[in-house]
Amino acid sequence: MLEPRVKNQDKNNINMNSELLEKLSECVEFGKINLASPYPPQMKGQPGADEITKEALESGVTPTEILNDALILAMNKVGQKFTENKIFVPQMLLSAKAMGASMVHLKPFFANGSVQRKGVFILGTVFGDLHDIGKNLFGMMVEGAGWEVIDLGIDVKTEKFVEAVQQHPTAVVGISALLTTTMVNMKPVIDAIKAASPTTKVIVGGAPLSADFATTIGADGYGKNPQEGIVWLDKISA
Amino acid sequence: MKKMKEFIDKILKSQKTLAFPIMTHPGIEALGKTVREAVTDGQVHFEAIKYLSENYNTVACSSIMDLTVEAEAFGATVNLPDDEIPSVTGRLLSDAESIAALEVPTLEAGRIPQYLLANKLAAKAIKDKPLFSGCIGPFSLAGRLFDMSEIMVAIYIEPDAILQLLGKCTEFLVNYCKALKATGTQGIVIAEPAAGLLSNDDCQTYSTDFVKQIVEAVQDDSFTVILHNCGNTGQCTQAMVASGARALHFGNAIDMEGVLNECPSDILVLGNLNPVGVFKQGSVDSVKLETRALLTKVGKHKNFVISSGCDLPPHVPEANIRAFLETVENMTPNP
Repeated sequence: MLEPRVKNQDKNNINMNSELLEKLSECVEFGKINLASPYPPQMKGQPGADEITKEALESGVTPTEILNDALILAMNKVGQKFTENKIFVPQMLLSAKAMGASMVHLKPFFANGSVQRKGVFILGTVFGDLHDIGKNLFGMMVEGAGWEVIDLGIDVKTEKFVEAVQQHPTAVVGISALLTTTMVNMKPVIDAIKAASPTTKVIVGGAPLSADFATTIGADGYGKNPQEGIVWLDKISA
Repeated sequence: MKKMKEFIDKILKSQKTLAFPIMTHPGIEALGKTVREAVTDGQVHFEAIKYLSENYNTVACSSIMDLTVEAEAFGATVNLPDDEIPSVTGRLLSDAESIAALEVPTLEAGRIPQYLLANKLAAKAIKDKPLFSGCIGPFSLAGRLFDMSEIMVAIYIEPDAILQLLGKCTEFLVNYCKALKATGTQGIVIAEPAAGLLSNDDCQTYSTDFVKQIVEAVQDDSFTVILHNCGNTGQCTQAMVASGARALHFGNAIDMEGVLNECPSDILVLGNLNPVGVFKQGSVDSVKLETRALLTKVGKHKNFVISSGCDLPPHVPEANIRAFLETVENMTPNP
């Protein structure tokens, strides 16, 4: 009689874990960061991504399951909704914050190698340019897609990009610019990266850019919006 | 200068499409001055506006679209490169407490006096076409003070604090716009690009409700508000209309035919050739092609004024601006 009882217990655990993953996915999709956050109004007073991730890990859900079956899944939906104009920048940033609250609990597992990510993505706004909203948004989406993101910040000099590539030879690089006067600074950065590491792939993005411009400066990829960038990253990492 | 109401009514009755590219950088460059000189010295700023007014056949002229001067007046740190548009660095406000403590600056703060001087000199010198002053919109200003990424999240997490900040920004902008109007200009372009990142409802709550206060304070038959939002991709046009501005200016990310069908026919609708892809990076031939294409598509709307989708950036070839204006002139019949 013992065996069926154990099986039932396992089944219950599996159901509970699936429920937690589903709840976590919802938190990220709808931007519920933690218990204290009043957003979204329909989830006010409920635990958020922070608390649910903690509970899930304590219940035996693996970090890989959390990453793949909740976070990546949810951020994929978020990216899709953004592309379809169903949500806008604030909602997307709230989702990214919720994902970040969950990721905090996963960091030790990334650090000890028990969870593998898709790769390393080095990101920065080109030198001369102090804008960061596009960079931040894309960085959060890339992290949510399963990559480790190294954010070099704004006004990033060529040498800093090159140094980061030398430290992470398999990384992909993303360069952002908002100004017409700084987008031209992307070419010398790409040239220097390619000179130091010819196989490194570089994707560029930013309001004044176009696919044609990206090609002329030697970029390997161009993201008109975050989701396009994610699709490109998935393609090159497949 | 003619009363603006008569001027707009005339445009609305005419079959001719008029051209009003938003630009000052070509004037700054033609005078051999730097951007830094123009945004810090009212005399240089004025001379750039005057140069463009005298050398280009545009229906109106405008002052510099500098989205840092108001934030600087509040105390934000501003980066002023020689040859690029200025930008705000760092974050002045970080929480409800710092917002509550924020003081609304006087019109003596930062570079505001230089901007008022430029507008005063230009209004005195330019008599043959309307001159539009410029200022930032309340939400875009609040974003520069609180950090643009953070304000996007804070409108949901700390809405009361952000509404308080918007109230302070609007109080300052109303004072500034009244002072700009008093210089003798015929209108103002309120640049509110950050609101274009919001949904229509959020745009209404966090931008339009405050823009409307500025419109109600300054707009009349002699002074017209143009609300510029180049971030709108089509989702928040109704919120822009609700501002009460007599003219709306759109960026290149939007479909002009859709916008013209959505906006009331007694509101001027301006837009939207890509300032970078068409004006800066294009050739004379491609500028002509794109201008013709837009005029063919929406030129039939009497309330349409063809324009750049945003302020022309530095280093736009003069030949491209001339190609744009000549194409408009050649393609549309005289009134």
